[in-house]
Amino acid sequence: MNFNTAHFYESFLYGIKYFPNTLRLVFIPLAIGLILGTVIALARVYKVPVLCKLLGIFVTVYQGVPIVVALMIYNLVFMLKFNDLAGFLHIKTKAADVDNIWVGIFALSLTAVCSISEAIRGALLSIDKGQDEAGYSVGLTKVQTIRRIIIPQMIPAAIPTLINHVVGLIKASSVVMAIGIIEIVAGATIPSSRTYSFFEGYVAAAVIYWAFTIMIEYLAKVLRRHTGRFRRNPYD
Amino acid sequence: MIEVKNVKKAFGKQQVLKDVSVEVEDGQVVVVLGPSGSGKTTLLRCINFLENADSGQLAIGDTCVDLKKATKKQILEIRRKTAFVFQNYNLFANKTALENVIEGLVTARHIPRGEAIKQGKEALDWVGLGEKYHCYPCNLSGGQQQRVGIARAFVLNPEVILFDEPTSALDPELVGETLDIIKKVAGRGITMIVVTHEMSFAQDVANKVIFMDEGIVVEEGSPEEIFSNPKEERTRQFLSRIISLDSNYSI
Amino acid sequence: MDKLFGWERFFENIPKILPYLSVTFRIAVYATGFGVLLAAFIVLAELKKIPVLNPFFKVYVSFMRGTPMLVQLMIIYYGIPALIDPVFGTNINRGFSAVTFAYITFILNQGAFLSAIFYGAITSIPYGQTEAGFSVGLTELQTFRRILLPQMVRIALPPFGSDLVGLFQNSSLVFLIGVTDIMGRAKSIGAATKHVLEAYVFVVIIYIVISLTIRLLFYYLNTKLEYGREGVE
Repeated sequence: MNFNTAHFYESFLYGIKYFPNTLRLVFIPLAIGLILGTVIALARVYKVPVLCKLLGIFVTVYQGVPIVVALMIYNLVFMLKFNDLAGFLHIKTKAADVDNIWVGIFALSLTAVCSISEAIRGALLSIDKGQDEAGYSVGLTKVQTIRRIIIPQMIPAAIPTLINHVVGLIKASSVVMAIGIIEIVAGATIPSSRTYSFFEGYVAAAVIYWAFTIMIEYLAKVLRRHTGRFRRNPYD
Repeated sequence: MIEVKNVKKAFGKQQVLKDVSVEVEDGQVVVVLGPSGSGKTTLLRCINFLENADSGQLAIGDTCVDLKKATKKQILEIRRKTAFVFQNYNLFANKTALENVIEGLVTARHIPRGEAIKQGKEALDWVGLGEKYHCYPCNLSGGQQQRVGIARAFVLNPEVILFDEPTSALDPELVGETLDIIKKVAGRGITMIVVTHEMSFAQDVANKVIFMDEGIVVEEGSPEEIFSNPKEERTRQFLSRIISLDSNYSI
Repeated sequence: MDKLFGWERFFENIPKILPYLSVTFRIAVYATGFGVLLAAFIVLAELKKIPVLNPFFKVYVSFMRGTPMLVQLMIIYYGIPALIDPVFGTNINRGFSAVTFAYITFILNQGAFLSAIFYGAITSIPYGQTEAGFSVGLTELQTFRRILLPQMVRIALPPFGSDLVGLFQNSSLVFLIGVTDIMGRAKSIGAATKHVLEAYVFVVIIYIVISLTIRLLFYYLNTKLEYGREGVE
């Protein structure tokens, strides 16, 4: 069996070196996804007119778009049209100056927004209607009820699905190598073009991802215990 | 004739059955009483191998098996001579009432489907659920589900029906009608072993009462003997607490 | 400068790209078919706690679920030749076409994901159902086939549907190991005509239609089977 441990180790180190890029590709879309996703989920559950339907259609349709295809399209449009758009908006930067990691972040953010809004929507729907009614009955406004009663209950309900989506985001971030962004996988295979040890390179990348997802799932367990505390001791 | 000899069972460090022997004549109704943790449910579950005893012998009719060393074939044989009514009914969730009742007949005893359906409908009619042949368990009340469970056991025509606290999970109002059905079953001359807290049922229907505590049979005898003249102190303690509860409670 | 998106080119591409959809479907069918078998085997090992196999599968499932599909594809694509050639003196790359590596990867991947779905479904059935089966004299196999399996299918159907949508989306990656599916064809059109955007947009539309169709189908199936109904009480 051919497994060159030295090359594996070298790929591993190169992969870790580009780990920060993966973190950027995961956490920025995650943050955007959480913020916009929550807004979209709330708009759909509380049936805000017009927005509810439009956002619903957008999420349903966009969920069917594979990341790699979206990436290729965005990258293409970016490379061909960015300069025109910049000139139109009187921005001084040119396409060449902008790191195309932002194309990756843009694509991943859109996917994150869709899947996270669905997860949050599911969690919101699982909360008893009586909670809203109770809020109104003691004189809280709709916004106050959402902020003080609904959202705190939504969070522990949403965490298991959200963690699945975070893991999904981590794995999806590997696709950006198709448009030349250097993250863990591309990093781990840099030495491979010199040593021809592609197998060792990809195994190194896999190990890094695997360790990362195991850590996230452990963190999730801790988080669930922490935020779900009120579920065992309900306060009045 | 059902004979259980020297059953022992431990769960981890807890010795739940310490050495229990029970004899049941054909057609007898035996009621097993005792506080929780006394091992009465475990005893019942050992008889049809839902639990594996650590040692002991079991004889049902002319089939004798060793409780620990029984082969799969022997276990199946025993299970086809017995029927079990569960505390929380355990009706097959994906089958209608009628399908629940005939499942054992068709699949385990290879009775032709037409004949099984006929017997199943008769059994359901007999427990008062003639309108509910095609209802799923989720559409039946607790009391109705338990009656289906009883019909399911009854239709198998077993040598003994084992009842594990059949009314403990029911609303108080429904306990009465379920006990009536169980009395009907007894009236048919079927051998029954019933684990229950319902004292009045024991007094009315049982031929023999067994009192268990902490894994052993403390005392056994006819209902009159046990309820009016308990010989053991522990029996007396238990009965006095239960009977005073019975009379103080009314909603 | 030429238009970015030309409608004539878009419609020209449709008949060029559509035939290659069969590659995508073939991947999905093999992956699901063999994946279900593999998953059943894994769940059996887990339920019966078979030594050696059970811990091995636990690690295997964790790996397949914790690493990106892209990386898995590459590992199989480079790894199988790397591991097998020196031992058997073969040259796999000349024998296998790229799509075979894709089949292998997706079968292994689906086996892992489906095993998690099936295991969750079967363990959520109350144990009382099994006991009731035994108490009316059914054997283990009969209890499984007639009582547990139907309930399991109902519970597993929604997550299976989502997994299926994910399978199709992941299959969009196979062009990166040289498989000519709809994406691969789009790229080759782009290389030939220098205009690739229309092809990509058509590919996106195909995937959207597939995703919506599957979701609609499963929505219909789910309501028909009244999933989530857990009978007793």
